[in-house]
Amino acid sequence: MADRKAELERKKARLEQMRRERKEKELSKTRNVGDDSKTSVKSSGSDASGAEPDDILREFGISPAPEGSPATPKKAAAQSQAVKEVEVPTSVSHTTPRKVRLSVAKVNETSIPPRENVSYSKETQTIIADPVDKDDDDNDLDFIENLEGSSSHAHQFRGHGHSHGHGHTHKMPHVEMVAPATTSEEQNKEHKKQLSEEEKKQILMSEGFQKFFDHSSRIVERALAEEVDIFADYSGKDSGGKDDEAMAGERLKVNRDFYDDKWSKHRIITSLDWSAQHPELLLSSYGSNEDATNVPDGVALIWNIKYKKDTPEYVFHCQSPVMSSCFAKFHPNLVLGGTYSGQIVLWDNRVNKRTPVQRTPLSASAHTHPVYCITVVGTQNAHNLISVSNDGKLCSWSLDMLSQPQDSMELQHKQSKSVAATCSSFLSGDANNFIVGSEECLVYSASRHGSKAGINEAYDAHQGPITAIDTHRVPGQIDFSPYFLSSSFDWTVKLWSIKEQKYLCSFEDNSDYVSDVQWSPTNPALFSSVDIMGRLDLWHLNHETEVPTASVVVDTNVALNKLRWHQTGHHIGVGDDMGRIYIYDVAENIANPKADEWSKFVRTLQEMKQQATEREEDSTLLGSAAPIR
Amino acid sequence: MDDFQSGEETAFVVDEVTNIIKEAVEGSIGGNAYQHNKVNQWTSSVVEQCLNQLTKLSKPFKYIVTCVIMQKNGAGLHTASSCYWDNQTDGSCTVRWENKTMYCIVSVFGLAI
Repeated sequence: MADRKAELERKKARLEQMRRERKEKELSKTRNVGDDSKTSVKSSGSDASGAEPDDILREFGISPAPEGSPATPKKAAAQSQAVKEVEVPTSVSHTTPRKVRLSVAKVNETSIPPRENVSYSKETQTIIADPVDKDDDDNDLDFIENLEGSSSHAHQFRGHGHSHGHGHTHKMPHVEMVAPATTSEEQNKEHKKQLSEEEKKQILMSEGFQKFFDHSSRIVERALAEEVDIFADYSGKDSGGKDDEAMAGERLKVNRDFYDDKWSKHRIITSLDWSAQHPELLLSSYGSNEDATNVPDGVALIWNIKYKKDTPEYVFHCQSPVMSSCFAKFHPNLVLGGTYSGQIVLWDNRVNKRTPVQRTPLSASAHTHPVYCITVVGTQNAHNLISVSNDGKLCSWSLDMLSQPQDSMELQHKQSKSVAATCSSFLSGDANNFIVGSEECLVYSASRHGSKAGINEAYDAHQGPITAIDTHRVPGQIDFSPYFLSSSFDWTVKLWSIKEQKYLCSFEDNSDYVSDVQWSPTNPALFSSVDIMGRLDLWHLNHETEVPTASVVVDTNVALNKLRWHQTGHHIGVGDDMGRIYIYDVAENIANPKADEWSKFVRTLQEMKQQATEREEDSTLLGSAAPIR
Repeated sequence: MDDFQSGEETAFVVDEVTNIIKEAVEGSIGGNAYQHNKVNQWTSSVVEQCLNQLTKLSKPFKYIVTCVIMQKNGAGLHTASSCYWDNQTDGSCTVRWENKTMYCIVSVFGLAI
């Protein structure tokens, strides 16, 4: 206790001393300027004592820092000069020989993220709203070329223009700035030049211009393709003489052919149909082009036989190969296509689109297998689209709404065996009963409604898948509507009556798959068939039932896939599997029925029936079930 | 009483300093909205207050105080700092304060003498 008191007194004394010394230093500030070196020496010398005054000061609550901070080197020097023992508190750092270990500290980071501006921009265009179609894939061609070149590219230009039109309408406002001042003449010239280039593009992209261009290019194309006389159908041939007939007389003559390099090349023609309202229009549908990769798989073209131009009137395409197509009978602007994917697509030629305007869903409610048969049945006010797909499903649709079928039915024969339908044909004037041909070599008759809805009867005689069915539809005094023809891979065409289980007559003149057969729309006893050897046959049953009355082989020896009679009965359109359509003229003496054609046909049929029964008896005698060749 | 550790409080106490900073900031710009004409005053006052409080601690430290006031405008701000010192004794502390209209970032570095 006494020690402590003594210590305290000692400390107090030292403090007072220090205070006095400081006062002295302040007075003698100015005298001592450059004595830094001495300071340092002295400071190192008196280490031990330096710690103490600090402690003392702290004890008394006086922090050494504020006094030391304003200390200039002069002051320090002055202080240190005066006091040898006590060290200036500022130089405390030198007194304590602390081991200083320096190292890099952790990086201090501060970050404030920027505010994210959620912006929503929406543009609306009120003028020149082009219906830009995203499916439009016309990507090639310079439209400038098209202006000069053949307007067969008009369609592509149109598509191309769409994609540009959209981009251009953004840039629309006032791009034409006049060049810097030159002589008035030059200025005018330049002004003109600039204007015309910019303006040209603008105008070309506008909707009004494109419509006009489309319309007038058609007309100009026709005019250009025309030669002197318009009745070229009856005078010379356009596509070079192809007078291949085995028979005497010009019974079947090639009129012209339709082929488009871009759209129909290497594509098999899957169906043909003539328009009811415009008899000169021929619709052809095409399968896929395996050679090209970036072209749409399914194409449908509308050709015109009235004019000499050799480009299609309309080009439609879709993403899946089109297996069957038809004009919508009561809607002159609509074209229907059944595709490989099971989708049924609807094109409209009023719209400037080449892609379908309506599609059926690709779901189990519709078709999931290739649609090989589509027909429009009914009357003007009550009609349906009937489609049969390869899995035996029959759907009936309303043309207004293709989003779901109005009605669907599974065609099954006996023990729930689905019919793999490849072709179908409705009975003449009947929207209920129809005939279906299948891959299983059977022909079925079926009904849509009624007590016997579904498959009724099966006709078994062919040995190969059925390729085509056609029911008789020639109007006349005598109704031959129960009779139908079937063609198949077994090289034969057979004539049936739906009332009989056994066929009436078999036409076996072909030596390869018969791909299509059709009755003439005007002559009750006439029908035509094509096979894959390139042969087009005309059978006139009142003249001859064993061999065709006229037969022609197509030049190039390609397989003929489809055939379709023109409504007048004077032309036959034949499609091959390389994308070419031939239009054949049928000689009038054969095409036009004579007055007694119907009664003669009745007799012919009776003869056939007789032969059929004889055949039956023979076969039962021989013990074989079906008469085979 | 006379036995004072020479190492007494000669380490940077982060919590203490943090508190000091917070008080200083709250005191200076507490409930104010960003005003361009006053910001200068605020930064100075924050720094001064901080420093005063820190020196009142009477520690053998050198202090470095920085203050950044940034208006909330949607911009981002990123800073970083690193030091080469004696990790045992020296330290730093950063306080981020904000209100609706501005951010205030105060950093104090204390280096033991």
